[in-house]
Amino acid sequence: MKAFTTLLWLEYRRSWVWGTALIGSLAFWAWGLNQVNVRDIGEQLGIRAGLLGIAAALGGLVLCFMIGRIRSETRQGQYQILLLTPPAGYVHVAARYVFALAVAVLYFVGIGGLAWWIVAQTGLSLDAGTVAQLVLVCPFYGIGGILIPLLSWTLLLMIFVSAYRISGSGWIPGTVMILGSPLVIRWYSDWLIHISYTLPGWRLFEGVRTLIASTSWGAEVDTSGVTALVVPQEPLWGMLLLALVMLVIAGRIWQEVEG
Amino acid sequence: MLARLDDVTKLYGRNEGLRDFTIAFPKGEVVGVLGLNGSGKSTMLKLLAGLLFPTSGRVTVFDGPPRTNRARIGYLGENDALYAWMMPKDAERFMAGLYDDFDSIRYRELLDVLEVPRRKTKAMSKGERGRLRLAMAMARDVKLYLLDEPLAGIDLLSREKILTSLVREWHTDETIFLSTHEVAEAESLFDRVLFLRQGRLALDANAEALRAEGKSVVATFREVLS
Repeated sequence: MKAFTTLLWLEYRRSWVWGTALIGSLAFWAWGLNQVNVRDIGEQLGIRAGLLGIAAALGGLVLCFMIGRIRSETRQGQYQILLLTPPAGYVHVAARYVFALAVAVLYFVGIGGLAWWIVAQTGLSLDAGTVAQLVLVCPFYGIGGILIPLLSWTLLLMIFVSAYRISGSGWIPGTVMILGSPLVIRWYSDWLIHISYTLPGWRLFEGVRTLIASTSWGAEVDTSGVTALVVPQEPLWGMLLLALVMLVIAGRIWQEVEG
Repeated sequence: MLARLDDVTKLYGRNEGLRDFTIAFPKGEVVGVLGLNGSGKSTMLKLLAGLLFPTSGRVTVFDGPPRTNRARIGYLGENDALYAWMMPKDAERFMAGLYDDFDSIRYRELLDVLEVPRRKTKAMSKGERGRLRLAMAMARDVKLYLLDEPLAGIDLLSREKILTSLVREWHTDETIFLSTHEVAEAESLFDRVLFLRQGRLALDANAEALRAEGKSVVATFREVLS
């Protein structure tokens, strides 16, 4: 445990600027959302939701860059002072991953908070359960289903490439993995879609239609398409499993390289 | 035996790092690993540290493969690979957190003896960083230290401080491998000297025996390797 907390501290010292900048960028997005001045409520929500989508995508990209900064860790193909440290490669990978995940949770819960804010600005007063779904459940579903496997993939890619850098042929595993991953992901996601809703789906935002109807502008909006969102469990569990497998492989490679 | 290499060959592609290397090391020696550039000094130390696998032959440290005993080996690599933001107190936290045998009191004493400034490594000179790295390595309580070029590129006064602290810190049950080009300055430290030439062991000599014959290590170095 001491080794893990030390490596976590090291990760914080290495990457705090990235994490702080990312979380601080939420203030910029809040400012940007506030600049949207469209009278039509539906259009206003659409533009703001689009901006939040961009914020989420850029945030994911920054997190991938942050966790993938392996190259700066190596000199002449060898890791810096981590070289020969007794903790297993899995501990190194876990510390790096946990720090990135902590930043991701803060950032995406912040995005969820901004979503709540823009909804509240329309005059829609959400109940506690819906707020929790918007601020916590949706971000965590997105983190679990997309970001967690994406971060694992990035970490695995960079460690895989670094493992071969000492012999100067890091581009070969990099190319193989980048070209091969879409095929694997396509096959895997097809399978996940195929098995979706085998387990009961999670129902979200069930009361939103009623809430919209109760607002001053509710009568002007066509709510026939607003229904409860039923999200499947299987893709989340499937992607978490895939992420875990990739992390185990990354840890094993680190173990082999660093010894 | 503390460590041994049995018929070890290490190839880097077509280039030879070491060739047909067989040698054993008992406990409690200061071993000078000497040779010209590319003679195989770093390769030998990395093999002992478990950073490299031999192409053929076997390396044994503490009666096992080096990798399984890495927690018992103190290795100071030739590369200056400290984080730029790291201060001596950060280095202490790092080492104490990852190495159970790290002695913080000894580390602070070494920082004082080696006169390491308490500032970020990016604001330190090469000599100061070298002294910090040595303090980090020598504050561990291990029986085998592998020091690869700790004096390289470091000014005279820093070299003297490093060598003085090596003498001061060495205990008779510890074995130190010191690879260096500063043969004249370090020769008084050595109990045993290995002269490497083009990946082969040119001479394995007892330093005291050399001195008894009226030869210095420097003179032998010139004689064997020139």
